[in-house]
Amino acid sequence: MSTAESYSRPIPLFAIVLVALAVHGPLLFMQLPAGSFDTNFHIFFASHYASHWFDPWNVKWFAGFSQTTYPPLTHQWIALLSNVVGLKMGYMLVQLIAVMLLPVGVFRFAKIWVNERAASYAALASVFLGALAFLVYQAGQLATVTSTALYLNALPYLYEWITTASGRSFLKGVAVSWTAAAAHHVTLIFGVLFFALPVLWVAILDAREPVVEADAHDPDVRVRDEGERVPGAVRGVLLRTGAFALIVGLGIGLVLAPYWLSILRHPVRQMPIPHDSRSNFLLNSTTAINYFVIPYGALLLGIPFILVRGARARRLRPLLFGFWLAFIFGLGGTTPLPRWLLGRAFEILTFERFTFWATLLAMPLLGAVAVSLLDRFASKAAAAMALAAVATVGAALWWLNANPYRPTAIVDVNPVIAFLNRDGHDSYRYITLGLGSELAQVSTYTNATSVDGDYNSARLLPEMTNYGSAQLTNAKFYGSAGMASLRAMLEHASRYGLKFVFVHDSYYEPLLTFAGWRKIETFDNGEITAWSKDDVPPAHTISSDAMPAPWEGVLWGTLPMGVSFLAIFLELWLPERRRVVAPVGVPVHVRQPYVA
Amino acid sequence: MRRENHPGRGFAAAAKAAVGRESGSAAVNRCATQNRIRLAFYFCLSVALSTLSASISAAQDLRAPSAVTAGEAVSISTTGSGKATFYLVGPGVSNKSDVALGNEISLRGQDLRDAGQYFAILCSDSCHSASFFVAPAKPASLAFLVHPSRVPVAASDAVSGVALAFDQFGNLNLDPGTINFQLTAGKTSLLSRDVAAHDGVAWFRTTSGKSAGPLQVVASIGELSARRNVQEVASEPCNLRIAGQRTKDGLVVQTEPVHDCAGNPVPDGTIVSFTATDASGKSTVDAPIKHGIARAEIAASGPVVVSVASGVAMGNELHIGGGQ
Amino acid sequence: MKTILTIIVVATVVLVAVGLLGAGQTKSGTIGFANGSALPGLTPKADTPEQAVTNLLNDVQKRRWDAAYGALSKTSGVDEETFREEWQGSNGSLRTFSNLEGSELRPVHATNDDAQIRARLRWTTPVGPIEDVRDFRLIREGGLWKVVWPKQQVANVPAQVVPVTYLRWDLVSGDGKDEWGARNIDPPHVRIVSMNAVNSAEGSAVMGEVVNEDTVPAFVNVGATLVDGGGNPIDDENSFDKIDHVLLPKQITPYRIDFPGIDLSKVKNVRMDIKASLVPASADPVIGVMNQKIDADVQGRSVLRGELLNQSGQTVNIPHVIASFYDNNGKVIWVSDGYVDRALLPETSEPFSVDIPRSLAGKVQSFHVVVNQYSLGKS
Repeated sequence: MSTAESYSRPIPLFAIVLVALAVHGPLLFMQLPAGSFDTNFHIFFASHYASHWFDPWNVKWFAGFSQTTYPPLTHQWIALLSNVVGLKMGYMLVQLIAVMLLPVGVFRFAKIWVNERAASYAALASVFLGALAFLVYQAGQLATVTSTALYLNALPYLYEWITTASGRSFLKGVAVSWTAAAAHHVTLIFGVLFFALPVLWVAILDAREPVVEADAHDPDVRVRDEGERVPGAVRGVLLRTGAFALIVGLGIGLVLAPYWLSILRHPVRQMPIPHDSRSNFLLNSTTAINYFVIPYGALLLGIPFILVRGARARRLRPLLFGFWLAFIFGLGGTTPLPRWLLGRAFEILTFERFTFWATLLAMPLLGAVAVSLLDRFASKAAAAMALAAVATVGAALWWLNANPYRPTAIVDVNPVIAFLNRDGHDSYRYITLGLGSELAQVSTYTNATSVDGDYNSARLLPEMTNYGSAQLTNAKFYGSAGMASLRAMLEHASRYGLKFVFVHDSYYEPLLTFAGWRKIETFDNGEITAWSKDDVPPAHTISSDAMPAPWEGVLWGTLPMGVSFLAIFLELWLPERRRVVAPVGVPVHVRQPYVA
Repeated sequence: MRRENHPGRGFAAAAKAAVGRESGSAAVNRCATQNRIRLAFYFCLSVALSTLSASISAAQDLRAPSAVTAGEAVSISTTGSGKATFYLVGPGVSNKSDVALGNEISLRGQDLRDAGQYFAILCSDSCHSASFFVAPAKPASLAFLVHPSRVPVAASDAVSGVALAFDQFGNLNLDPGTINFQLTAGKTSLLSRDVAAHDGVAWFRTTSGKSAGPLQVVASIGELSARRNVQEVASEPCNLRIAGQRTKDGLVVQTEPVHDCAGNPVPDGTIVSFTATDASGKSTVDAPIKHGIARAEIAASGPVVVSVASGVAMGNELHIGGGQ
Repeated sequence: MKTILTIIVVATVVLVAVGLLGAGQTKSGTIGFANGSALPGLTPKADTPEQAVTNLLNDVQKRRWDAAYGALSKTSGVDEETFREEWQGSNGSLRTFSNLEGSELRPVHATNDDAQIRARLRWTTPVGPIEDVRDFRLIREGGLWKVVWPKQQVANVPAQVVPVTYLRWDLVSGDGKDEWGARNIDPPHVRIVSMNAVNSAEGSAVMGEVVNEDTVPAFVNVGATLVDGGGNPIDDENSFDKIDHVLLPKQITPYRIDFPGIDLSKVKNVRMDIKASLVPASADPVIGVMNQKIDADVQGRSVLRGELLNQSGQTVNIPHVIASFYDNNGKVIWVSDGYVDRALLPETSEPFSVDIPRSLAGKVQSFHVVVNQYSLGKS
């Protein structure tokens, strides 16, 4: 087989998955995400499930909070795997599974829009996405990546169900959607807007006009056969979509019932916490690089072609619209659109996930562009695109150490853990200052409890919710609001039994000194100091109405995990029927000039 | 079987009372009350067990010793013949053994180390019992608590102490006799008092001495004694006086050696506040005493009034003219 | 196709333009210390005095010192290092820990070529937000307004040897068997010598003074519980940083306990709680408080101002002034505090001022100032 012939065939999905394993496997087994912002948070949640599977009330943060405020699936899987490989490696394994599921999802999602060859290039490109590397290695957004991968796998079932009324697609689509929701609810909610609506739109197009004449000349756009009539036409599509949405909605309501109850009990009323992904990128070069240049990488060069490709084929326009909307959302505060559409939610959400989704929505279009380039330039195009892909993921990895937001150098928190676990120190509460995400690591391995925590949505203590700042350990990064929050908490140290403060940043020492804390121990050659206040009584239980009922714990411990097993079972029991690819009737070696 | 030192609980209560800043009498009262409760408990237990065993049978005889001292071996005589089972139940022991009726039953000293009521029960066809009281042995140690650890001189009723005598097995001796308390400052004896213990507790309260330094407090009974030290420290500064002179940058003021009213030098590190008032406002310096004297430099010009204070004690005022 | 492309491109451009126009009105905060710069051409030109000061403060906020220094007038008699040090502080002072968070500008006067702008600068610091009022003089140079930065007279402290003979108390723990009964050593004897409760602007406050009557240093914290008519506690707070926690023998400190949002009319009783424990301490440094007097600041508010004179051989990085104010009966009617943002070098002085509430200024007859301090590496 010649080089040109090899480019003319779809890349086998198995090979793409192997590429994902080859690229991300070593990075994950080297535990590269261990220094990311959220990895320790996920491991902390998982550690609680590992020891209290059916009791989501966790006393280690915020003087007690409910883990039903965050969908549990990824954490429960880590907890399950931790029995064999430990918590950290459990995290890496779950993340790796998500990363390998992503190209599968992109491939299957892309096939809704483009032919199998273009879809395979889309899936291959998704392995090298800067946004993916950003989320996995810098942000540590395990749940977002997992849920997105699952959701992309659910959407083809939705499309097949609404266009062919396939019962097995309905069953699998519903189960995978539930699983995606159990991994991350926000992804599913916004996924409807960005992913599901374009799918519904194209299904309606297909129902109206099975073979879009206008697209017939486009070799890369998926072309339906004459025989692939949509049952019930547009009405049928809408009815089946309604049925799917109803069942999925009811299921999510049940699977995540404790989450909805906790939201109803305690709606998010805390002061908005600033996040740089909400700023105007044009006015801050660093933010622009972090949230725009790095996630898109070389894809930025392809955007004009993507726009042209998406606009040219009528069947691709819903996808183009979804991409554009996600692109605009990913710009955060650069445009006013997200603020207009989201209202108060704008101040709660972070926007890097929208950039991730925008890149995924661009993948089918990029796949089509890639096919065109390969058809025209063959090896040169392949080399250029390979270079671009490697440069994109390489830049994201380089940025891990070059960005000014990077977490501080990892410090050895084992002495802190040992201190808290000895001499009855765990009968008091503690906070850390300047330890960043290492707080979660300390919390995972100590018996002592803290009033701080690395999860904004579960905070109920007024000393935290009344100020526009997040973790106390990062108080200084939130300016006056952060320091006011820290000050309020230290003022009420006796109320919470907050006796120990571990400092990894001398910035906080003046406040502690003037407030009456004294340095008592030094760890790791002075990297961390322990401070104590003499007149603080031992901690006592802080009563809270946020504590879930025992039945909620049982539900939380069974249904999310249950639906993931159901999805796996259905995937194995009802394997996908391979669609016979219709001959496209276009010569393999297109010598026509590429028209952008 | 776990051995419990019940009299020790009384000690713990007394210690807790003393450490917890209860008055000496309160500590003694609490201790005595607990002893009474304990005795009442053993009395009730003995009545109950006696009634029980009497109701079972009264066919055989068991003669318990009349007076037993803790740690001493004794024997109990029995009548009759054949084999029987002997039970010994006491505050810190519960034993069962097979004995031959008609012989004497030897009780080992180590089974009788805890003071209190014991029951001897003998069962063959029927059960018989007798009770006896084990008294504490002679005092072997003194628990001595003195409060406070630091006291200003010449403070009335400021020093108190409580002593409890224990035998070698840790039993509180309820009647140790008279305990002698001696307070000595340097070579001067401040107090020597014999105090009769009530319910095993003796205590004193007295005024602190007039000179700063260690105050030795000794409690003794027979050849036993326990020693504690109390730090007597200077009281409030008295007759605080300052002198000053003008320098090119302002004033230098210093105190005369600072003493309390009893003439003891106030410890170094004590803060003395100097305040100077002139046309440009008020200036204050909180200076610690070093080598008995506090000294401060104050920026001031023109006529100045300088005052001095240490804590709530005020000193003299110094008027320094502008031309000097 | 062209129509769709046009719509997408135009919509994007319009949205970005609207975002740029509205950027100044939104209050989107930033995590960490603001950095990064706007794309070239997006920074407004300094064609008004206010814009010139705004640009300068933006550069200072983002620590773009070259740009900030470049915006100064050529007539400024300051070099870049001194200019930078003025904003960033030195010698581990509070300013070195501070970040400019925001500002409000008010023109004082303006002509065609000369203007004066008064800026109220809001700093975030480890000990809480601090406000600073600063006047900027500007002149027009080549069509743009430039800030004239005067050369500051910095105290030139020659190298000197200052004898350090400070006293120090250390805690030596005994083995529990010694005759001193070290494990049962009594806590220092401290006493509240005055207490007063008043309504304040933010709610109510309980204040007074505490003395260490003992011969050893004491760590002191004063708490108060407000109790209503039914005997139920309303709120409990403590003196936090409005007290000098470590008291040497016979030292007196003011304290103030704030109860935000609580009206004193609802309070029947105040339960005071003073806790003291033995701590290691040092008698150094000695800081004199010179030339104290009640005055008015540039905004017309009553303040107590004076100078702190470091009489020791060590640098005091962050001095903290706590002042109690008395009425003509000798009763404490207010306790105020303030941090000094410059370090106190040995044998040098720095000015300070603390606010007096407008409603109480007329009643103040006398005052007492104590100085607490933070020195790097000596906590």
